[in-house]
Amino acid sequence: MQSLDDARFRGANIERLSWGARVARLSARGLGAPRSGSIGLSRRQALASLGSAGITAALPRILTSARSEALGPGNIPLARPERPVALPLNAAPIRSGLAPETGGTFRLYNYADYIDKKVVEEFGERYGVVTELSTFENMDEAITRMASSMILPDVTNISHERLVQAVVGKLLQPINLDYVPNLGTCVWPSLQSPFYDVGSRYTVPYVVYATGIGWRSDRISENIAAMDNPWSIFWRSGKYKGYVGILDDDRQALSLAMLYRGFYDINTEDPVVIERALADLRDLLLICNPKINESQAHTLPTGESWLHEADSGDLLGAYLSDRPEGYDGSTLRFWSAPKGRGPVNNDCWAILSAAKKPVLAHLWLNYLLDPSVAFNNFLYTGYQPPQVSLSAESLIERRIIPRNLQTTIFTSDAFGPGSQHYATLTAKGNAMWQKAYARFLAGT
Amino acid sequence: MYPKWLWPALAAAGILWLVLLFLVPFYAIIGVAFGGVDPIFQNPVPAWSPWHWDFASAIDTLKGFLPQHEYWRVFLRTAEYVAAALTASLLIGYPVAYYVSRHARRTKALLVALLVLPFWVSYLMRMLAWVNLFAPSGLVNEVLAVTRLTTQPPDWLNGNPVSVILALVYGYVPYLIVPLLAALDRIDQSLLEAARDLGASPWQAFVHVTLPLSKTGILGASVIIALPMFGDYYTPNVVSGSPLTSMLGNQIDIFFHGGPQPSVGASLTLILTLFLAGLTAYYMVAVARAHREGER
Amino acid sequence: MSAGAASSPRARSLARRALDWIANPWGKPRFLLLVTWAYVGVSILPVLVAIQFSFNAGRSMTAWQGFSLTRWYFGDPVYSVWHDPSLRHALIQSLKLAGFDMVIATPLGVMLAIGLSRWRSVAASMSNFLMLLPMVTPEIVMGVAFYLVILHLYTFIHPGTFAQALGHVTFSLSYVVVIVRGRLVSIGRQYEEAAADLGATPWESMRYVLLPLLLPAILSSLMIVFAISIDDFVISQWLSCGAGCDTIPIRIYGSARAGPLPAVNALAALMVYFTVIALGIAYLLFRFLTRGERADRSTRLLVGDMAALEM
Repeated sequence: MQSLDDARFRGANIERLSWGARVARLSARGLGAPRSGSIGLSRRQALASLGSAGITAALPRILTSARSEALGPGNIPLARPERPVALPLNAAPIRSGLAPETGGTFRLYNYADYIDKKVVEEFGERYGVVTELSTFENMDEAITRMASSMILPDVTNISHERLVQAVVGKLLQPINLDYVPNLGTCVWPSLQSPFYDVGSRYTVPYVVYATGIGWRSDRISENIAAMDNPWSIFWRSGKYKGYVGILDDDRQALSLAMLYRGFYDINTEDPVVIERALADLRDLLLICNPKINESQAHTLPTGESWLHEADSGDLLGAYLSDRPEGYDGSTLRFWSAPKGRGPVNNDCWAILSAAKKPVLAHLWLNYLLDPSVAFNNFLYTGYQPPQVSLSAESLIERRIIPRNLQTTIFTSDAFGPGSQHYATLTAKGNAMWQKAYARFLAGT
Repeated sequence: MYPKWLWPALAAAGILWLVLLFLVPFYAIIGVAFGGVDPIFQNPVPAWSPWHWDFASAIDTLKGFLPQHEYWRVFLRTAEYVAAALTASLLIGYPVAYYVSRHARRTKALLVALLVLPFWVSYLMRMLAWVNLFAPSGLVNEVLAVTRLTTQPPDWLNGNPVSVILALVYGYVPYLIVPLLAALDRIDQSLLEAARDLGASPWQAFVHVTLPLSKTGILGASVIIALPMFGDYYTPNVVSGSPLTSMLGNQIDIFFHGGPQPSVGASLTLILTLFLAGLTAYYMVAVARAHREGER
Repeated sequence: MSAGAASSPRARSLARRALDWIANPWGKPRFLLLVTWAYVGVSILPVLVAIQFSFNAGRSMTAWQGFSLTRWYFGDPVYSVWHDPSLRHALIQSLKLAGFDMVIATPLGVMLAIGLSRWRSVAASMSNFLMLLPMVTPEIVMGVAFYLVILHLYTFIHPGTFAQALGHVTFSLSYVVVIVRGRLVSIGRQYEEAAADLGATPWESMRYVLLPLLLPAILSSLMIVFAISIDDFVISQWLSCGAGCDTIPIRIYGSARAGPLPAVNALAALMVYFTVIALGIAYLLFRFLTRGERADRSTRLLVGDMAALEM
């Protein structure tokens, strides 16, 4: 991957410092004197606006909880790559050696356009069931609908920051790993017992990706990967007005602004940091009027968008399956930050506690982890599965990935301790991020 | 001839439907706005009986409307857009309604049909047509380029408040014209003739007779379009996808579709409803007062 | 009196003559006439242009590339309305909801109209007020109310086609009542009283006198409910279950900013055709069935009905 000079990014692990030292260091770094000349926010201004937002009253409580308790829903500690957490068993897993259910409908729940439909259909044919794939737009919608029993699938895609909620709320059932041998044999060792689910009690990993910047090299004249602070391209993109985009997600949009400022703890619950990120995003509106959507996989190849915050799989997926006629995809580029300086993530699949076909659900998890199935799915979605058999070198050698998109493939050591994931927050922290994002969307 | 119980019996089914599927849903908004929140999933837990109502979250949301707080700017922006769109609609709609009701004779039926036609074209279709016209390569920019009115074709569809206001006008002005037309139709021609007989010029007759008599019509038509405009969220979304033109309806939409804080969304909806009910009450009082004055 | 009359006609410039024509104090108000026809043109033209582009031979929605009657309707094997599954599904879903709405809202509304217009009591006035409320409620408020009630109270109803249909009926009821009541007022009680004089029982009178007289209004409201339901956006969106429950307006909303193909224009144009046909049928049926009653009241009746719809 990139070999940026790490000396440029000193000052990691800010979360270990006390709050006072943290703020002092941020001031030294330039809280009041930002790099790219946009409007700075002094600490006094930030506190004043916080007071008006009504957060100051809750400040002491939030900070003490952030320091000493750090408990998520159900009083389970917040999992981080350095602090793995084993989730409690909320029920007994099914017995081993049962025969798979046949006949009827097997229900899956996933993001829209995030799995190859052929893969799903083949599973149904193999086990003699009709498959039904329902989709959701974002995790909030998925959790809300499942929690209120509006939709009752057998298996669901889930991102690990929502895992604790789902487990404590008895939405998911524990897995019996006897049915999922592929987990131990085919998956990266670092993800066989991930930090958010030690022992893989509830989930198996689906795909891995990083959130970074996608762009068209024939439209953007800057060499973003070689910049000191690549995230700052957004705040300098005035001349690309109308062709810039950011992701429509509270965590990903606000953390873009945090990373731009060199603040790497994207799981922060510090209201000052969130408020400053909001102010930076508001500036962004005036600078380049970004589109706020999730359609970069479609708009980057067609040229409707030139610069977009994107997940690595979007770019590769755009190259592999969504190129418009006559475009060879050679001008697509992707950059993501080195380990610890930018978000990486992996999705998971889990089984619902109300699943009507639990054995089949286990077999689905095993099926997804099968190397050939995972590879075929990869060719459609562009998101890399954490398969031991799919190394970056082999994919490049087999010319599946073009040279300009080699940055969208990762190795196992990009994950694990030292990496930054979008991880679970406390309920209050979650609400803070959502409120800030809602204010951004309201243009206030 | 008909038994007295027949009429309530006939109406019962419809009333039951409206109660179950219109009144009760309103109560659900109140129950969610004044209810609690599930600690695990952060889903709202509605409070159905008034004893369990908790006003804290609703009052918090209401405080957000105070100046300099989070909803104030959105509310102000919405009020600005509605005021601008209403004014523009009146400036366009009143002359049209006036001409059709007062002067068109042979073409009146045709004009009325043409005026009513946009009602029945779906609002979304008209917005789609609008977006196509104002697209970067659309008709408007072509005309501007040909007539050389601007050097650089303006970007109409990206966070441009003018586009949003114009789209609101385009979308809502048919709903203004028809009631205005009905109101102007009701003005007695003989009053105008009397004014002319007394020596007023056409312009003076208009200002001193027609305009005051059409005041309630104008007020009614304005209320008819201002109310839905306050809750509009799809027009800014279609015509300008940017947060810079976000309206109050967008906020409500965000809180329901973007994250598990429906209780805030419910409080916002409640506040919007009360505000609009206040406007309607003002309108009804004004009409009642005008009627009383008319009778005197 | 007119300023330009002093100079000879040949010397007057074109602009001067145009201004004179507009400001002619003895003729009809030409300025207002221009404004009115300009308004009519501007309000209908964009829709016509959008419909025109649904017949575009190429893929652009703004550049005319030739005329092709069927490419986007059913010709193109991948992207046309008939072949693209999401567009076709939206079309079918809209028609389904409209059909359900017609079948449920019309009888319910007719009964409600008859009951409300002849019932005299305090409860009747309150019910009348209740019936008018949906017409003045902003759609987002109704959408939110419905969404919350099926989420928290009527949990056996899930967001989806059934919930959407219930929502459509709820807001269509008021329109049916207003139309039928207008008709009831215009026919009055005379015919039923005459029937009673001739010895008809209440049931016979209602069945053989009242309902046939109401038929024009009933058929008109069927068509108008169809038109309203096809055009509805907000309620359908809030009660939608995802891509499977999308109606035509929802698809248009999703595509309007996403660089769509003229197939979306074709879908929207289909919606316009259905609505215009439904209204045309309503109008013609009304005129045909009331031809005996028309002296010189028909135009005002129709305009009155149309205006009544908005009050």
